[in-house]
Amino acid sequence: MAIIKVENVKYKYPDTDKLVLNDMTFDVEQGEFIGLIGKNTAGKSTLCFALAGLVPHFFKGAYGGKVLVNGLEVRQHEIGEISPHVGLVFENPFSQMTGSKYTVYEEIAFGLENMGIDREIIVNRIEESLELLDITEIKDKNPFDLSGGQMQRVAIASVIALKPSILILDEPTSQLDPQGTEEVFKVIENLTKEGITIIMAEHKIDKMAGYTDRILLIHEGKLIDFDTPAKLFSREDLQDYGIIAPAVTRISQSLGIQNKENGLYPVTLKELSREMGDKR
Amino acid sequence: MSTMTLYVEKNSILHNTAPLTKVLYVMVSIAITYLIPEIAFVLSVAIITLLLLILGKVFRKIVPILGLSIILILSIIIVQGFFHPQNQTILFSIGFVTFYKEGLSYAALLTLRVMNMIMSFGILILTTKHDELVEAMIKKGLSPKIGYVLLSVLQLIPQMRTTMAKITDAQRSRGMETEGSLLVRMKAFFPLIGPVVLNSINITRERAIALEVRGFSSNQKRSFLNISKEYRYQTAIQVILWLTLAAAIVWRILTWLS
Repeated sequence: MAIIKVENVKYKYPDTDKLVLNDMTFDVEQGEFIGLIGKNTAGKSTLCFALAGLVPHFFKGAYGGKVLVNGLEVRQHEIGEISPHVGLVFENPFSQMTGSKYTVYEEIAFGLENMGIDREIIVNRIEESLELLDITEIKDKNPFDLSGGQMQRVAIASVIALKPSILILDEPTSQLDPQGTEEVFKVIENLTKEGITIIMAEHKIDKMAGYTDRILLIHEGKLIDFDTPAKLFSREDLQDYGIIAPAVTRISQSLGIQNKENGLYPVTLKELSREMGDKR
Repeated sequence: MSTMTLYVEKNSILHNTAPLTKVLYVMVSIAITYLIPEIAFVLSVAIITLLLLILGKVFRKIVPILGLSIILILSIIIVQGFFHPQNQTILFSIGFVTFYKEGLSYAALLTLRVMNMIMSFGILILTTKHDELVEAMIKKGLSPKIGYVLLSVLQLIPQMRTTMAKITDAQRSRGMETEGSLLVRMKAFFPLIGPVVLNSINITRERAIALEVRGFSSNQKRSFLNISKEYRYQTAIQVILWLTLAAAIVWRILTWLS
C-alpha cells in the first residue's frame, strides 16, 4: 500500500493569486527514496510543507484535494498528530535548534518530551539516533557551537528520534560544504536501510541521481514527471524546466552512450563506465 | 557559547535547595518587608538575606549588582530627606540643604527593602540553574510554551547579538560609516536595524516550523529527560516560610485593629 497518497492537491498561500501547488497527484511506496527537483519557486518547499501538515495548518491559505500520509488525512489532523508520522528537516540548520537546550543530547530530547514519551524510552531513542547520525562524540556540546554539517545532523537526529515513518528533507545540504553534504547523504542512505520513506528536495542533481529510487520533477506547481533517475534525466525537455541533467548524463548524451537494453542514458559514473566497458 | 546566565557553579547549601523553595523565599522575604514597615525588622530580614548569600558563596557576585542600584538608592535618600511630607525634625544641614529625620528614616526603610529585594533575587538567580527552575515550574503547572520562552531568550539573544555584529561588519565592508559622531551613528542605525529585524523575523518563522514539527503545540502531558533532583527538608523549609508570611499578615491586621 502506498504510504503517501497525494490526490489532486491544489494550494495557494494567503493573499496571493497563484496556485503554488496545481493539481498534483502521485503515490509513494514505503521505503522509497524520492528526490524532488524543480527550479526555485517551483513549489518544492510548499509540497514538503503539505506532506508535513504545515500546509494548510500552519500557513493557512486556500487548499483543495487530499494528502494521505501513513493513512492519516493531513487536513483532518493537527500538526501535533501528524508529526510522529512525518519528520521534516529544512535548509537552515541554525534555526532548527530550539535554543532552550544546552546540549545536543537534550536538544534531541525536545520533541520526545513534547510528546510525553517515558524517560527510559527517551534515553534509548536518543542513543539510537546519536549512533545512526554518527554524532555520539558531540552529544555534550552546545548545539550552537557546532559546524553547519554537525548542526544539520543534530537537526535530523532530533527528528529521527521521533521515529517517523516518513522523513522529508527540504534542501538539507544547501548551506553545507561538500564534506557536510556527503555526510548528510550518507546518513540518509543509512536511514533508507531502516525502512524509512524519504522525500528530499535538492538542487544537487549529481548526488540525487546516485542515491534516489525515483525523482519527482515539478514546475510551476505542476507535476511534470515522476520516474526513475535514468528515465527522467534522459528526457529531452529538461532545460524547459530549469533543470540540468547530471554531468554524467550530459556527457553520455554528447557521446551517444546509451544503455543497450532500454536506450536510456547513464546517470552515475558507475553505469557510464559499465556501458563504456561494454564498448571496449 | 555565550549565554546570559548569572548562575555560579558552586557547591553550597543554597545550591542544594529546591528552586521552588528559593522562589518562595524571594516572595516571602519581599512581602514581609512591606507588611511590617519597621526599620529594625526590615534590617534584620535584609541581614538574613545577606547571610544566606554568604552561605551560598555568591556574595561577591551580588556586590556589582548592588553597586548598580546605588543611583536609585541615592535618589531615594535625597528626595525623601528633602521632601517627605512629614518632615519636621531637622537632623542636619549642609549649607542651605536641610535633611529631616522623618524623611531619612523613611528613605532608610525604602533602601533596605530595595536591597533586600535585589539580594533575595540574587539568591535565586545566582544559585539556581535556570533550566532546572523552569522545568520545576512547568511540573508545577506553568505552560510549557511560556517555559520555552523563558528558557530560549537566554540563548537566542546572544545569537541575535552575533547576527547584529555580522550585519554591522557587512554594512561596514560596503563603506557605511558606523562609528564617529552622534549624527553618523544615528544615520547608521536604520541600515543596521532593518536587516537585523527582517532576519530575526525570518529565523523566528523557521524556528516556529521546526518546533511545530517536533510536537511543540501538542496537548500531551510533557515528560522530562532530566530527573528532578531530590532535595531534603524542603517541605519543612517551605512550611516555615509560609508560617512567617502568615505571622506577618496577622501582625499587620492586629496593628490595624489596635
